[in-house]
Amino acid sequence: MNPSDIIRSTIIGLFYLLMHVFVARQLVLFDCAFCFIYVGVILTLPYEISLTALLLIAFGTGLIADTFDNTLGMHTAATVLMAYLRPTVVNYQMSQKISEGRFELSLRNLGTPTFLSYAFVLVLIHHSTLLFIEAGSGSLFLFTLLKIGASVVFTLIALLLSQLFFR
Amino acid sequence: MLQLFEFIARKRNLILFVLLEILSFWLIVNNNNYWSVNYFNTSNAVVAKSLLVSNSIKEYSNLQEVNQTLAEENRRLRQQITTAQQQKPANAPAAYKPDSVFAARYKYITVAKVVESTVYRTDNYLTIDKGAADGVRERMGVMSSDGIVGIVTVCNAHFSKVTSILHSQFSVGAMLLRSGEIGTVEWQTTNPSVVSLRDISRYKKVLKGDTAVTSNYSSVFPPGATIGRVQKIAVSADQSQFEIELRLSTDFTKLSYVYLVENKLQKQQESLQKSPVTARK
Repeated sequence: MNPSDIIRSTIIGLFYLLMHVFVARQLVLFDCAFCFIYVGVILTLPYEISLTALLLIAFGTGLIADTFDNTLGMHTAATVLMAYLRPTVVNYQMSQKISEGRFELSLRNLGTPTFLSYAFVLVLIHHSTLLFIEAGSGSLFLFTLLKIGASVVFTLIALLLSQLFFR
Repeated sequence: MLQLFEFIARKRNLILFVLLEILSFWLIVNNNNYWSVNYFNTSNAVVAKSLLVSNSIKEYSNLQEVNQTLAEENRRLRQQITTAQQQKPANAPAAYKPDSVFAARYKYITVAKVVESTVYRTDNYLTIDKGAADGVRERMGVMSSDGIVGIVTVCNAHFSKVTSILHSQFSVGAMLLRSGEIGTVEWQTTNPSVVSLRDISRYKKVLKGDTAVTSNYSSVFPPGATIGRVQKIAVSADQSQFEIELRLSTDFTKLSYVYLVENKLQKQQESLQKSPVTARK
């Protein structure tokens, strides 16, 4: 990681955070699809970053999202879990890419199918955790599942669009 | 001991992960904890400020809607005020009890937007975006938030033409609030912010700055609607009357929303006043 990589990651991360706080937070489709676009911060951080740093960044990101939603802890828990599982998912899905050498976790570098499957797994983990914590119990189980499904689709579309923007 | 440190070093990420998760869940469970109440919520100065900025940008986009709701709310409030005033007029003797139908004769029909208006001709008209389909009828009164505007003269399904006070043939009965004198308001000047008040004897007392409102004699406007303020007092050429200039309270160059008011007893009142029995007198 050289300084220009760090600056680039910071700018992308800030972009996702601001997008979430000022735009995506207020988008709710059909009362069940939410857009938690700030997960892009964790998804797009460079592969080489240490897990310790990743966990701390995830904690900070979740904290900011929580502060704006008045739900201290919920986004944080989901984002930290997602960050902890990220290396596992990357190693499992992109073993070939890793053996080839340096690569970026972005739509441009991975191609749509790989990026989508990578993002899908982590976004699903994040949204399931978050929305089940939010639901608080097993009641409304089916509605929570519907919310998770719809939100995953919505967030993935938003992520794809934002990635096209960075092309 | 060394083994313990080695274990921690090897598993530091797992330990960090577990600690952060425990911290998060602790924050969720104690949702009234010190941190949540004092720092990490939307009352935090930085957070509140940024929300304020984004909100103020958003506000611009629904200003029009807000204006409409406010105008509609004003219509309802005006309706209540007029009905209340008519049930118990301020200067009436204690024994006077108005008929309930008479007291409730004024009804604010709707709020309309002025789509076109002229002020600099001899006969000025306004066009509003409500017509017969919205309950607008001819001879209804038109008022703005500041005072009276005119009378509906023509209406089709979705638009109406309003004769404004600034019309050579327009006249309306007026009363001065403080002195209680009654006269007639007409537009004679070419100035769209000034009308003249006539038919007040020069031996009566007229104060500068007094407010002229519609009198009880009007069959179109509810009594007490503001017309304007006395600006200049002169005596007419024949020395018998005052010629008073009123500064209109309605700014005709800036009209946007107007209220339409209907007098449900207008036909009865006007046909009686025109009937041959009274005309012979």
